[in-house]
Amino acid sequence: MIRNLNIFLLCVSVLMLAGVYALKFSIEGTASERSALVAHIEEQEGQLSLLKADWAVLNQPGHIDPIVKRHQAELAIGPVQQEQFGSFTALPMRPAKPDTAAMDALFAAITEGIDPIDAILQMEGIE
Amino acid sequence: MAVAAEDFAQTIALDGARKQRGNLTQARIRWMVLAVVLGLGLVSGRLVQLGMAETDQTIEGQTRDVITATRPPILDRNGLEMAVDIRVPSLYAEPRRIIDVEEAVRKLRTVLPDIDEEWLRNRLTGDQGFVWVKRELTPAIQDAVMRLGIPGIDFITESKRFYPGMNEAAHILGSTNVDNQGIAGIERHMDSESVALLQELGLARGNALAPVELSVDMRVQHVMHEQLMDAMTRYQAIAAAGVMMDIHTGEIIALASVPDFNPNEPATALVKDTFNRITSGIFEPGSIFKTVTMAGALDSGSVQITDQFDARYGIRFGRYTIDDFHGKHRILALPEVYKYSSNIGTIRIMQAMGKDNYRAFLSRMKFDQRVEFELPEMRVPTVPDSFSEVAAATASFGHGLSVSPLHMVTAYAAFVNGGNYISPTLYKRDVAEAEALYERVLRPETSAYLRYLMRLNAISTGGSGSQMNKAAQGYRVGGKTGTAEKVVDGRYSSSKVTNFFASAFPLDNPRYAMVIMVDEPKAENAQSGTTAGWNAGTVTGRVVQRVAPMLGIAPDFSEVVDQQIVPAEVRQLYPEGF
Repeated sequence: MIRNLNIFLLCVSVLMLAGVYALKFSIEGTASERSALVAHIEEQEGQLSLLKADWAVLNQPGHIDPIVKRHQAELAIGPVQQEQFGSFTALPMRPAKPDTAAMDALFAAITEGIDPIDAILQMEGIE
Repeated sequence: MAVAAEDFAQTIALDGARKQRGNLTQARIRWMVLAVVLGLGLVSGRLVQLGMAETDQTIEGQTRDVITATRPPILDRNGLEMAVDIRVPSLYAEPRRIIDVEEAVRKLRTVLPDIDEEWLRNRLTGDQGFVWVKRELTPAIQDAVMRLGIPGIDFITESKRFYPGMNEAAHILGSTNVDNQGIAGIERHMDSESVALLQELGLARGNALAPVELSVDMRVQHVMHEQLMDAMTRYQAIAAAGVMMDIHTGEIIALASVPDFNPNEPATALVKDTFNRITSGIFEPGSIFKTVTMAGALDSGSVQITDQFDARYGIRFGRYTIDDFHGKHRILALPEVYKYSSNIGTIRIMQAMGKDNYRAFLSRMKFDQRVEFELPEMRVPTVPDSFSEVAAATASFGHGLSVSPLHMVTAYAAFVNGGNYISPTLYKRDVAEAEALYERVLRPETSAYLRYLMRLNAISTGGSGSQMNKAAQGYRVGGKTGTAEKVVDGRYSSSKVTNFFASAFPLDNPRYAMVIMVDEPKAENAQSGTTAGWNAGTVTGRVVQRVAPMLGIAPDFSEVVDQQIVPAEVRQLYPEGF
C-alpha cells in the first residue's frame, strides 16, 4: 500500500517538476519576447519623436512664411490688407420679395436652349 | 568470527541504556554537522558564483533614467510645438574592451573628423568601463560608425531638446545643456519649478509629461521677429527688440530681441550682444516716459487734462537749460504737451504734482524694482531713491533713470486697461485669474485720458505717432515715441540714439500693449529722420498691421470709434476732439 502510494507520489513529483520547468521556460520566452517588444516600442518612439519634430518644424510660421513669399507673385497672394475686411452691416439687405419676372424670363431662356452661364464661360475662355 | 556470530540469535548488548542513547545522539550530531557543512558549502559556492559574475558595465543598466530624462514639450497658446524632445544616438566607448586603440582612433576619425586625435587617443586608452566620445549625433553618423565595426564602441539613445522655431522665440525659450537641464529662459524656470525634481525621482521618462502651455502666440512672435530683423537692415541698427502683452491678463504674446541665437546650438547664445534686451537690458526710456508723468499728474488731480502750460522758454537749472526738441515755444494745453512731446511742458506738469509725489508714483508703478516675471535673465532698474529738482525734471521726460522695456510695457498695460497693474507672465492665464492679482494704480478716468492722449498722438497732425498710424490704418493704434540720446564719453550724443515706441491697440477697447525698441538706427532714406517715429514707430505700425487680424481685431475706419474716446472736458477745449 505504502509502496504504491510512494510510486504514485514519485510520478506526480516528476510530472510537476516537468510542468514547473516548462512553465519557467515559457515565462522566460515570454519575458524575452516582451523585452524585444519594449526595445521595438522604444525604437519606434524615437522615430516618432523625430517625425513629430519634423512636423513641428513644418508647421512653424517661420518655416511657412518663406514658402508663401516665394510663391507670392505666382499665386497672387499677399498679407491681408485692411480694405479686405467686411462686416455684416455692410451686406445689402435681402430683397423684399423674389424678382419673379426675371426668374420666369431665365427659365424661359433655358427651355429655349440659351444658357446664360455659357456666355460667361465663353467670355472667360473656359470650355 | 562472523560465522560464529551468525549462530547466535542476538549479540548480548553490553552497553547500558544510557550509553546507547549517548551513541545515538553522537550519530545525530554528526549528521547535523554534515548537513550544516553542506548548507554552508552551498552558500559559499553561490557566493563564489556571484563574485565571478560579470556585472552590468553598460550604461544601459545604470544611468538609463538619467540620460533619457525627458522634458515636457512646450506649446504656444494655440498648441503649436515650441520645444520637443527627440531621441538621438550618442557615441560612447568602453576602453577596457578596445583591443587596438590606434586603429579605433584612425577609424573613428574617418567618420568624425572634427574630433581631436590626441584627445580621442587619451580618451580610449585606459581601463575604464564607460566614457562618452561624442553626444547627440545624427542617425546617419550612427550608421557610419556601426559599419566601422570597432569593438568596444557603441551607441545609446539619449533625449535631446529640439526647438523647431529655431531663432524665433530664442529669448523666451532659452536653452538646455547636453544633460537636458535648462540653462536659460523658460527652460531654466521650468527646472526651478518642478521638472528637475521629477527627473531626480526618475519619473520624467517617456513622453508622459504633460505639455507646458505658454502665453506666446507663435504667429505674432514670427511677425515680431521678422519685423525686427527687417528693422535691423532697414535702419542699419545695432539691435532691435519688441514685446507685446495682453493688457487684461498680463500674458506676453510675443517677445523678441535681435541679435539673437539658435537655441538648438546653445553655444551661439554666448556670442556678444545676444542678451535679451527686453528683460535684461535697461535703458533710459526717453519720451515714452512722459506718459508715466502724465499718468501720475492726472491721477493725483494736481493737473487737469485741459490745463495750459507755459512752454515759451526753456527751464534753467543752474548752468543748464532744458529746452524742447521740436519746440513750439508757446503756451501749450496738456494734450499738446503730449503730442508735441514738450520737455518743458512735461517738467511743469511734474512740478505741479511735486517731485516727491512723482517719485512715490514711480514706486507705485514698480519702476524701482524687478518686474515679477518667469525669465531668469533680469536686471534691476536704476531709479534714484530720491529726486533732486533737476533729477526729477530730467526723469519726467525719461532721462537720468534706466528701466527695462518690460517695465514700460507693463506700465502701459496698466495705463490703458483701466488702471490695474498686472505683472506679466509667460504662462497661460485667464482674465479671472488675472483679476485676482490686479493692483489698482490709477483711477479708471485717468486711464481713459491716457487712451485719448495716445490715440491723439497717432492721428492728430504733428503727432509723433503719425508715421506709425500710416501702416496700421483702421486698427486704432496709439502710442508715444521716445528718442533717448545715448551717453558717449560722458556726454549725451545726438547721433547715437535708442528709439522706443510704446503703444496700445485697439484704443476704443484696448487689448494689447506693445513696446518696440530700435538701437542706434540710421535714416532709411534722405526724406526720413532718425527719431523714433521714423523707425520704432513704423515698425510698430507694420507689426500691428500684420498681427491685428490674427488676434481677431477687425479694422474700423469709422470716425465714431475715435471720437467716442475723447473726454468731455477736452471737447470743450477742442470741439473736433483731435
